[in-house]
Amino acid sequence: MEGQEEEAASTPEDAPEGEAAGTTEGEGPAETTSESSAESPPESAAEEVTVVESEEGVATVVESEDATDPSPDVGLFPETEPIPRPEVSVEGEPGPRQRWIELATSADHKDIGRILIGTAVGSLFLAAVLLVLLRLQLAVPENGFLEPVTFDRLLSLYGATAIFFFVLPLFFGLFYYLIPLMIGSRGTALPRLGQVGMWLILLGGVLLYSTILYTPPEAGINPLPPLSELAFTSNNGVDAWIAGVGLATLGYILITVDLLVTIRHLRAPGMAWRRTPVLVWTAAVVSWLFAVIGPIFLAAATMLMIDRRLGGGFFTGGAGGAPLLWQHLSYIFFAGVYALTAISALGVATEVIQTFTGRRSPDRRVIFGSMVAIAVMGTLAWGQNMYTAPIPIGTKYFAMFMAIGLIVPFGLIYNSLIRAVSKADFHMRAPLRYAMGALSFGSIGLLVELSQSTIAVGTQLQQTYDAWAATHFAMIGFGLFGGLAAISYWYPKMTGRMLNEDRARKSFWLVVAGTVIAVVPLFGAGVEGQVTDAFRFAEGEGVSAYNLIATLGTLLLFLGIVLTIGNLIRSRVEEPLAPPDPWLGETLEWLALSPPPPHNFDELPDVRSEVPLTDIREVLTQMDRDRDHEARETEPVA
Amino acid sequence: MATLVVLPRRKPLPLAAAAIGTVAAVLIGADPASALSLNPDAISPGIAKGNTLHTIMFVVIVLGILVVNLAIFRAVRPRHRFVEAQEVETPSRSGRVGILLSLVAVAIFVVATIYTSASRDIPESRASVEGTLEDGSLRITATGQQWLWRFSYPNGAFGYHRLVVPKGVTISLELTSSDVVHGWNVPSLTGKAQAVPGQTHRISFRADEEGTFRGWASVLSGQGYADMESVVEVVSPDEYLTYIRRLKKEIQGAQDIVEGQVEAQARRAMNQ
Repeated sequence: MEGQEEEAASTPEDAPEGEAAGTTEGEGPAETTSESSAESPPESAAEEVTVVESEEGVATVVESEDATDPSPDVGLFPETEPIPRPEVSVEGEPGPRQRWIELATSADHKDIGRILIGTAVGSLFLAAVLLVLLRLQLAVPENGFLEPVTFDRLLSLYGATAIFFFVLPLFFGLFYYLIPLMIGSRGTALPRLGQVGMWLILLGGVLLYSTILYTPPEAGINPLPPLSELAFTSNNGVDAWIAGVGLATLGYILITVDLLVTIRHLRAPGMAWRRTPVLVWTAAVVSWLFAVIGPIFLAAATMLMIDRRLGGGFFTGGAGGAPLLWQHLSYIFFAGVYALTAISALGVATEVIQTFTGRRSPDRRVIFGSMVAIAVMGTLAWGQNMYTAPIPIGTKYFAMFMAIGLIVPFGLIYNSLIRAVSKADFHMRAPLRYAMGALSFGSIGLLVELSQSTIAVGTQLQQTYDAWAATHFAMIGFGLFGGLAAISYWYPKMTGRMLNEDRARKSFWLVVAGTVIAVVPLFGAGVEGQVTDAFRFAEGEGVSAYNLIATLGTLLLFLGIVLTIGNLIRSRVEEPLAPPDPWLGETLEWLALSPPPPHNFDELPDVRSEVPLTDIREVLTQMDRDRDHEARETEPVA
Repeated sequence: MATLVVLPRRKPLPLAAAAIGTVAAVLIGADPASALSLNPDAISPGIAKGNTLHTIMFVVIVLGILVVNLAIFRAVRPRHRFVEAQEVETPSRSGRVGILLSLVAVAIFVVATIYTSASRDIPESRASVEGTLEDGSLRITATGQQWLWRFSYPNGAFGYHRLVVPKGVTISLELTSSDVVHGWNVPSLTGKAQAVPGQTHRISFRADEEGTFRGWASVLSGQGYADMESVVEVVSPDEYLTYIRRLKKEIQGAQDIVEGQVEAQARRAMNQ
């Protein structure tokens, strides 16, 4: 196993050397490695051609090398070079596998993480397209652009895409890629579990989108029974929804288990809990949260499936079931996912801010504690989505108490992050800009949500565009900007190239402007009483102007998202090669090459403090100084 | 601490922020009265309490958004500040901030609780009408079905599409559904309430003005959802009585006709 992996490792490293030497100066191992994996995007279909081409190149180079001589001067890493040894094979020498097979069968956490992040970026585009279609239908009153059933179908797809195939794979992909690197491990503890999880998620996405060929789900973003029961939606769209998001949820649960075991068992020597980076702590909190809420949703989805296909009675009245049960179970999950997104984004923002201000936060313990509090209270506040439902008032007061109590942990994290930035000197780069954008938009979403979490107001504003707008502000802030802060911060690590700063800045401001213009008017429409999920609205209700502006803003938002994705794709090819540690980070992943080799680290460091890389840098500086000193002492004075 | 990369000059961030803020202000300011007051034409005491709470919360959240975002913009504004390399870490002020935030949270919770419980008070009847219960309220059942409402009145009459209620009398509206979950929603009179099959959801309100009040159904209930309206017509007690008696008579008449036909059919069958 070890030997195989090393061989697989050495092939892409060695192969492009011939090509790379002509174009770049080829001064270090980082550049060669980055070259090879920059040519191999995991998902985009457009670039598959180049993959195949470079694959042929790899194949020929390897064969010729094997045929002629083992070429001793290839060794950039003399110690990791495969030891030549005899191989016995009946069917001849197995050739190198194609790149996509390599990626599909790889249990390497970096490959799995990249596929998940790629899925999230693709889903971001799909969600943006769906949102534009929904908004075009709602541009003018009494619009006949879409049929009612088409609108419901697009709406259902939009919700599933945004929640299950954008936000969740984005953060779980990032965690899965980064956590082993940050804790100084050569991989995850249960890599096959993570691999199965990733494929279940992809399968769920394919299943959901294959419904476009027949009947997409049409029961809404949260398909409430009895509408989602067989009696009222008899086609198999809802079945596909259940299967798709259910498989994805199962996949995230498996990934969660892998992450938890990895964080528990594979930390580098000396990395006590108090020395783990903030993002590792974030991943632990988020994984525990999902390990709790994921199975709840899975159970609910299974019960709905049993209701539909096996004649169960979980969510139908009269047979011992209750329609409200689904609301409780699903809103526990959705409230948990909301908290999960916020915690993940705040964890990313903390890492970014710490690096860019060059100082560790003095409030690490406060931030950790607040994240746990947000996870617990945010999930327990699920009842604030059910103020209009016939449930006892005590349940509603409990939800309101939890929701209002969230002011404290969120406020503490915001206070410590904003103070860290305002007290320091820094250079404004894409990661920091995205992180501050996440804080800003997230705060708007959270505060409007706070207003709706009071029962008297929430009863009025729920299911209006006010609630829709608040959720979108929070999700674009925490989900999109938080995710982009992470992607742009670790972009050099993942791709070996820098993200184009200029394009990142422009697309950021385009998304900001688009979101403000697209979402702020909807607050007005919601207060005027426009309800969500309706495929059209009537004239003369005072909401026409709001809706038109929102639609125009959505087009701008779409443009911003397309440019952002374009920047992510273009920078992988066009931008200069990145050094292993472009930001002077303080966590272990910056010790690895960019992008990291399959085994991550040649040598695992001993962790002596919260800032292992600072320690290593100090040691290196000291060694340089000693060498200078020695040289001065030994060399004769001229 | 220095960074490795040579950086481009930053654009003035506050300028862009101010531009966006202005756009946002203009958009919100398009109808400031409606943003401040949820239902300016509320005519039910409970809804009016909810409006007051909304106004309070509106001020609170606008202040909150301003404070947080101005702090963010102040933190990231372009500046050239010399930072001592050896500067000691600033002490954490989380303790004090935490206490302050807890006080704010408790204050908001208390205010919200006061107004919420006030908005849930069952209003007293100011007028009386035939058919009221002992507590002076009038019980009417509203049954949601795809995609209209059916209202059953105390005298056994029932009607569709619009609910007719007497002014000044406390109405105890019992919501239920015969198929899927429906969202009862009359913003200026009752607010939102779900009608769930198999359950009875009782809401109380008192209309203090005559007129017709409308709202759109608020829970996705299928393809006709966008056209499902909740309509309440508030009339004087006399008109209300006339209405339900006429309704009763019509229903009785229709039933008589149907019964007559059934009887005739039965007689014909017997004769054959």
